[in-house]
Amino acid sequence: MAAMAVESAEDGAARTLPSLGRLSRGLPFGRAYGRLGNSPSGRLILPAPLSQESGDPQRTALLLRKAWTLYSVTPLYRFCRGRLRDYARLLGAFIAAERQKGLAVEVGVELDIKVALSSLPELQGSEQDQPAVLVQLSSRSRASPKNSEDKILWSGCFCCVYGDDLSENMPEDFTCLPLFLANGAESYMSVVGNWFQKTFDCIFRRLAISPFSLTWMVAMWTGCKVDKATSGVELVFSVPRLPQPLDISYAIHPEDAKALWDTIQKTPGEITQEEVDVFMDCLYSHFHRHFKIHLSATKLVKVSTAIASAHCDGIVKMLHSQYLSGVLMLLTELAISQIQ
Amino acid sequence: MDETVAEYIRRTVLKIPRDEIKMMLQKWDFLSEAQLQTVNFHQIKDNISQEVVQLCEENSADIKQAAVLDIIYNHIYQNKRMWSVYQMRKTGEELEYFDLTDFKKKFKRRLRSALKNVTITFREYEDNAIWIRVAWGTPYRQPNQYKPSYVVYHSQTPYVFISASVLKSNLPLLCQALIIASNYHEIREMELRSHSLNSLKDIVFKRYSQNFQTYCPKPLQGRTVEPESVDLRIIHENKSEKERIQRLNQEVFGNGPQPILQFAQYKLETMFKSSPEMDVLDKKEPFRCLVKFSSPHLLESLKSLAPAGMADAPLSPLLTCITQKARNYFRIREKKGLFPDSFVSP
Repeated sequence: MAAMAVESAEDGAARTLPSLGRLSRGLPFGRAYGRLGNSPSGRLILPAPLSQESGDPQRTALLLRKAWTLYSVTPLYRFCRGRLRDYARLLGAFIAAERQKGLAVEVGVELDIKVALSSLPELQGSEQDQPAVLVQLSSRSRASPKNSEDKILWSGCFCCVYGDDLSENMPEDFTCLPLFLANGAESYMSVVGNWFQKTFDCIFRRLAISPFSLTWMVAMWTGCKVDKATSGVELVFSVPRLPQPLDISYAIHPEDAKALWDTIQKTPGEITQEEVDVFMDCLYSHFHRHFKIHLSATKLVKVSTAIASAHCDGIVKMLHSQYLSGVLMLLTELAISQIQ
Repeated sequence: MDETVAEYIRRTVLKIPRDEIKMMLQKWDFLSEAQLQTVNFHQIKDNISQEVVQLCEENSADIKQAAVLDIIYNHIYQNKRMWSVYQMRKTGEELEYFDLTDFKKKFKRRLRSALKNVTITFREYEDNAIWIRVAWGTPYRQPNQYKPSYVVYHSQTPYVFISASVLKSNLPLLCQALIIASNYHEIREMELRSHSLNSLKDIVFKRYSQNFQTYCPKPLQGRTVEPESVDLRIIHENKSEKERIQRLNQEVFGNGPQPILQFAQYKLETMFKSSPEMDVLDKKEPFRCLVKFSSPHLLESLKSLAPAGMADAPLSPLLTCITQKARNYFRIREKKGLFPDSFVSP
C-alpha cells in the first residue's frame, strides 16, 4: 500500500501552470511539487511532456485500453540501454530454462517464446527521465505455419514520467524506472520479474492505490476536457464486512460531473486538497440525501472516467492518448512514494 | 436417433453434477430402471454421458424427450438463470376456469403459426407452476436448442416469470402467445429481476413476512450482548440507540427472511443541492446519476447497514420499498411543487 506520509506544509503559495493536456513548446514553468496530496497548499498539474511531439503515437497506443497491473521498481543497477538485444536473449534463455524445470506457464501447447526489449522514448516527462523500456513476450505455436503472426503473450513496461525526485541524486550506475506496468498472465510476470531482480539487483513490489489517491484521481480526471464524453464518472464502493457484502456503483453523467467540478476548482491548472474534499463531499451528500447511506464510511475501490480507470489493487486502464503521460506521471509518483 | 439430439443429450448430462445424474435421469423417467442399472455412475462424466446417450439411442429418443430433461435440470438449477417478472391484466372481472389443455393448445398454435420451427415443452409441478421451455428457430432454420427461453406461470395468478435467452427478439412473440393462451389482454414487464425465482415469487405473491403497522414489537431482549463497562451511562445510551435501530429495521424489513435479490438500480434525475455555504453547482437541470447496489443477498445487506453504522435509521424509503413495490429498477425524478426535497418514483 502506497503510504502517503503527510509532510509539513512547505509553502502556502500556489503556482499556476498550464493545464494538463496543453502542449508546451518550451520548458514548463513549474515542476511537480511534493508527493501526491502531501503539500496542503496544492497539487500542481503538469503540462504534457516535452517529447510528446516526437515519436510514433502508434507505439504508445499499445498502452491504451489494456488493464495494467502496477508495480514499483527500485533503481536498476548497471542497466545498459545499448544492450537491450543481449538482455532479450538472456531473458529468453532464462524463460526457456524455467519452463524446462517445469516452473513456468502454459501447459500443453508447445510454444516458442520470443522476447523483445525496446526503448520507448515517447514515454518520458522531463529531460532527466529515462525513456521507457518495453518488454514483450510473444509466441508462435510450433504447429502453426511459418509466416503466421506472433501472438503477444505478455507485455511489461518500465517507465518514469517526471520522476525527478527519485533520479535527482541517483549515482551513475543506477537507472531510475520506478513504475512498471504488466499485462498478461501472472506466471510470466513472475519469471520476468525474477530475472530482472537477479540481473539488476532491484526489487519489484505490487503497487496498491489508496482510496485517498483514488479521490485525487477522480477529481483530476473529471476536470479534464474531452471532446465528447463517452463514459461517465463512476465510483465503486465496497462494504465487505457486512453479513452479506455490498457493492455500490455510483456513476455520474460526465457533463454533470464536470460542471460540478468546474464550480469547485478555483484556479485552472491547479487542484488543492480542499477542492478534492469538497468534490467528494458533494457527491457523498447527494448520495446520502437519497439513500441515507454514508458513502464516506465505505471503501472506495475503483474510479473510472473517460481519461482512465484505476482500481485500489493497483490496476489501471488508460483510455485517452492525450492524457496518457499525465496519468503515468501520477502513477510514477505513487511508485516513487512506495520505493522511498 | 438424430445426431443433434444425441449431442444435445450428451451436453445436458455433462452439465449435471455427477452425484445428481442418476436422480435426474430417474425423474426424467425415459430410461427404465433396468437400463439405469447398467450405467456406472462413478466413472468420469464424459463416460457416463456416452453411456446415457447409447441407452437413449436404444429407446429412440427425440428432441421432445431431450427437452424434458433440460427442463428438469433448469427447474432444479433455476437460480443459475436470471428471471424477469411480467404481469398480465385482463379487463373483465370474471375469474375464468383455467383449462390447462386449452392453454397449451393456444400457446403452441400462436408460436407455430409465426415461426414454424419451435420446440415447445410443458411440465407441471406440484405448486401449480407450469414450466414452459421454448427453443427458437425460424421458418428456415431448426430451433436452437442451446438458447431456449423458460417461462414459469402460476395459473392462479397474473404473473409470469421469464428467463429469456439471449435472443431477445422473440420476447414480444412469447408475451403475445402467453396472453392469448391465458385469456388475458395485456402484459407488461415489471422492473423486477433476480436469480432467485422463489424470491421473486415471494415478492409478487406477497409471501414474505408482512410488516403490519399495528403490530408494536417489544424492544429486542438479549439480542445484542453489550460488554460490561464501568461507566454505566455510556452503555445505556449506546444500547438504546442500537435498540432503536433494530426496532426501525424490524418495522421496515419485517421479521422473516428477506427475498433474495442480487441488485437494485436507480436512475437519478434529481437536482443537485448543497448546503448554502458551499459555493458550488446550482444548475437548473438535473444531476444525472446511475446508482447500482449489488450483493449476493441485497436486502439482508441493506438491512445490516444501519446497525453497522454505515447508514441512518430509518433507511431511505427508496431502498425499503423494493419488496413492497415489487421492483428493483427505479427512475427517480424531482417532485415538483411544495416539497422539493422529496422524491417521486414513477
